[in-house]
Amino acid sequence: MKLKLAVYWTGSCGGCDVSFLELGPGLLDVLPQLEIVFWPALVDAKRGDLEKLPSRSIDVALVNGVIRTAENKEMVELLREKSKQLGAYGACAHLGGVPALANHAPGFTEVVFGPGFRPASPWPEAPEDAPPALLPEALPLDEVVPVDFVVPGCPPPAGLIARFFQAALSGEVQAGQVFAEDKALCEECPRTREERRLTRIVRPHEVVPDPKTCLLDQGMVCLGPVTRGGCQAACPQAGMPCTGCLGPTPKAGDPALAMLSALASLVRAGEEGEDAFPQENQILDSLVDPIGTLYKYAYAKYARPLQRLARRREEVRA
Amino acid sequence: MPETRARIGVFVCHCGKNIAGTVDVAKVAEQAARIPGVVYATHYEYMCSDPGQALLKRAIREHRLTGVVVAACSPTMHEDTFRKAAEEAGLNPYLVEIANIREQVSWVHSGPAATEKAVRVTRTMVAKVQGNRALRPAELGVVRRALVVGGGIAGIQAALDIANAGFDVILVERSPSIGGHMAQLSETFPTLDCSQCILTPKMVEVARHPRIRILAYSEVEEVSGFVGNYRVRIRKKPTFVDPSKCNLCGECARVCPVRVPNEFDRGLSTRTAIYIPFPQAIPSTYTLDVQNCLGILPLRCGKCAEVCEAKAIDFDMHEEILEEEVGAIVLATGYELYPKEAMAEYGYGTVPDVIDGLEFERLLSASGPTRGEIRRPSDGKVPKEVVFIQCSGSRDPEHHKPYCSKICCMYTAKHALLYRHAVPDGQAYVFYIDIRAGGKDYEEFVNRAMQEERILYIRGKVAKVFREGDKVVVWGVDTLTGKRVEVRADLVVLAQAVVPSPGTAELARKLRVACGSEGFLREAHPKLRPLEALTAGVFLAGAAQGPKDIPESVAQASGAAAKVIALLSAPKLAHAPEVAEVNEELCSGCGICAPQCPYGAISVDEVAHVNEILCEGCGTCVAACPSGAMTFRNVEDEQVLRMVRAALEVADVGV
Amino acid sequence: MSGFEPRVVAFLCRWCAAAGADLAGTNRLQYPPHAIPIRVNCSGRVEPQWVVEALKAGADGVLIGGCHPGDCHYVVGNYKTRRRVYLLRKVLEEMGIEPERVRLEWVSATEGGRFAQVMAEFVAELKRLGPLHEPGGPG
Repeated sequence: MKLKLAVYWTGSCGGCDVSFLELGPGLLDVLPQLEIVFWPALVDAKRGDLEKLPSRSIDVALVNGVIRTAENKEMVELLREKSKQLGAYGACAHLGGVPALANHAPGFTEVVFGPGFRPASPWPEAPEDAPPALLPEALPLDEVVPVDFVVPGCPPPAGLIARFFQAALSGEVQAGQVFAEDKALCEECPRTREERRLTRIVRPHEVVPDPKTCLLDQGMVCLGPVTRGGCQAACPQAGMPCTGCLGPTPKAGDPALAMLSALASLVRAGEEGEDAFPQENQILDSLVDPIGTLYKYAYAKYARPLQRLARRREEVRA
Repeated sequence: MPETRARIGVFVCHCGKNIAGTVDVAKVAEQAARIPGVVYATHYEYMCSDPGQALLKRAIREHRLTGVVVAACSPTMHEDTFRKAAEEAGLNPYLVEIANIREQVSWVHSGPAATEKAVRVTRTMVAKVQGNRALRPAELGVVRRALVVGGGIAGIQAALDIANAGFDVILVERSPSIGGHMAQLSETFPTLDCSQCILTPKMVEVARHPRIRILAYSEVEEVSGFVGNYRVRIRKKPTFVDPSKCNLCGECARVCPVRVPNEFDRGLSTRTAIYIPFPQAIPSTYTLDVQNCLGILPLRCGKCAEVCEAKAIDFDMHEEILEEEVGAIVLATGYELYPKEAMAEYGYGTVPDVIDGLEFERLLSASGPTRGEIRRPSDGKVPKEVVFIQCSGSRDPEHHKPYCSKICCMYTAKHALLYRHAVPDGQAYVFYIDIRAGGKDYEEFVNRAMQEERILYIRGKVAKVFREGDKVVVWGVDTLTGKRVEVRADLVVLAQAVVPSPGTAELARKLRVACGSEGFLREAHPKLRPLEALTAGVFLAGAAQGPKDIPESVAQASGAAAKVIALLSAPKLAHAPEVAEVNEELCSGCGICAPQCPYGAISVDEVAHVNEILCEGCGTCVAACPSGAMTFRNVEDEQVLRMVRAALEVADVGV
Repeated sequence: MSGFEPRVVAFLCRWCAAAGADLAGTNRLQYPPHAIPIRVNCSGRVEPQWVVEALKAGADGVLIGGCHPGDCHYVVGNYKTRRRVYLLRKVLEEMGIEPERVRLEWVSATEGGRFAQVMAEFVAELKRLGPLHEPGGPG
């Protein structure tokens, strides 16, 4: 019995679909065991083909991308109904991802397309050709349908994809399973840590990092300490701070707030005390774009309740 | 999930009319009874009374309660009372929490709002108890031995007090003899009793004490462990003289061809390579200074060994590393004077007749290089005009030390006074900023110097000191008259700032003890815990913690000794279990937690470890831990989040 | 907004702010009853996530009470809190939530009057800001 697999993209860049190639020769072992029933990026199939499938006839469906449009929502609801197990594949489906930072800029269409932008109205004779309506917010997959498991990452690293296929092909995907480590990235990061303190905060382009020592100690906002391991600390190894694509560790809660607390705790401008407050504030102020930095992938998943409160406040004030 | 089986009891106290006069206590109990998991809720007139406690105990047994909330007064009042009562009824005391509905509700609010808040406060604590775990205080044995580092007067006093209480003491001193700076002093303010005369008996007492082991010429190499259980490595330098054989005949020094500056006389005299720092030295033995000896390697000299009849000299003596276990450590590493060489305005220490206070002490001392006669270093003349400069290097944040060195006003008055006694036709000038003479009989002493001894006190700072012929010219300003002052002096004595003794920072690092910005050892709390370091089991005595005079050093040393005695007397060290805890399954060892801890309770290897005994339970590391691997017993994140939600639920009190 | 009664969670450190609140009680100083206190050992234990959870769960404001600089029972806990709150308020502001809704105050164990005053001021400020939540919102 081959594993009946569906892969679907919603609001995504396409990188997740390509990421399967990262398996390299390993793909040759996996492919013969799969029956691809639906995978628009790979084989031609339309919504109608999916609708024709019996309920729960797909063994495993993987969705990559953020839920951005009404069509995204309908499609994943349909997939949910047709699948035994449905997983979020990649950071967008898992957490909202980079596209969901749009939630932070509610007037983004104006910013991007200029004033007066609105979706074109469909021809009256072909209403089905109308572009799908944008949802008021970009959503992670689990806000729309129940999600059984997560293959995280932007895109998921090869090792985790392999781990997923191994489990899926042997029918051992656990409910709620996240195919990544429970421990944070620092566990696998080869960089060394001395006495931890943050005397400045810099952006990656501002320094040439020392190749051996912890990037956080060098002032970069590395989200490694709050992010699941599983990528072998690929970015820090290449001199770039972790931006959190594998999502927070199981007990971290909101990764941005957890990291905010850690960063503020580490800041030192000389000896702690009232005299140091102004310089400490200066260091904290040098964290440019805290939301984009700390919530890069996780904004939709974690910041939405606050953001809704903020929206309401704006309306009240208006 | 503990809460699914939770059987919580809620007890609302009337506190007579204190609570019940404002809060509808029946309503609070009734509302509490509706919370899922609460199986019993009642209210009673005085919960803290014997019948109230009996009610609590009975309910714990009858309803098999797994948690208790007493809604009553502040937990600072009766938390212990109710926890003890619960324990007597078989319920772990850490499953009992207090909802403060008196100080923070009934006494400060009125009307239905008070009842509503009481309901919510109670509900919040029910949410907490539902997440509490049964805990047990950590217990630990204690090594009943203390280490005292530094053999000055503070270390001597601490060692004697601890030893007299019946505990063994190891007294480590870096130099060949104990005694410290006090041994160098001539007479002490304000009583003018001879320093040696009051110190020597104490030194002898230390030497004879069966419970004190002196390790002179030794330094602390490494410290590991924690309160009650420190392991200390001590490096004992070879003296090349067997103290048990040396009979102090002094033949060795007589034949020694080497002459080097004598540290004890602050370089105002010389000593031989084999020497005794001063006649009353303890341990009373000669020491061979290997750095300056001609003979050890290669064997060129050896004259001292030839003349030693006691055969005490052993050129094959080696450095020893001693490993000792101690339960407590007293740091009494003392002070040093800020170097004259740092004083650009006073000639960088290049003018021979510009000396510091300790050098002047040696000139005053009957056993000093001049046998107590005041003779200046350059030519041995008796100086007729002497200028004393106070605050030299102190209270000068721009160039030197910002702080007041505290002892200089007093010893300068003493110096000037003793100078006048020794040279009755001499004139003494004292330049000062203010006179700080806070202390018993201190003000009177300074007044005596000013009035009876005709010492000229000039309020003002000295701008420059330089040599001209055989005079030392002092330029200053009298700020009271606004006039420039020039004194053509024979000798200038600088009351140099008091700084921590060299090596203090290094020792502090070995012990994980904090130093302040000026390098003095930092106390755990500036007001309430001045005798303790933040590292549990480490105590501070004397000038290592900040400038101090002899009575203060002695007082602090006895205080620190009392703390040590209390620690070593405890049958076991018990420690509150509500502390930080690492979930090793989740900890990546990122190490963000460790620098948050002021107590050095966290160590990190592959994962972080919290030393339960050292953790004081602030929880700062827990809030800093980004991954959620660091948790806090009975104040878990999830627990607090439930409390927050419970606090915010609207209470229905029927208004 | 006349009928608006803000809901507040107050995280109080045990040694200073909570003790100050107790003293306000001992002195019978009346202050608005809107805040539910949650006592912690040190303000340094307070996590930004708790504050945000309170706002999400229905609070209109959150007060954090700690020891004055230099007085922290745990020496340096309050300094961490100050920096965390500073950064948290920046993030809240950028999200569009008034940073004044999160307030850090130093209250010593002897400042019962100050505790009552802080409470009164904070509740007045929240009344001025208006409700964070819709009527019938969470909580």
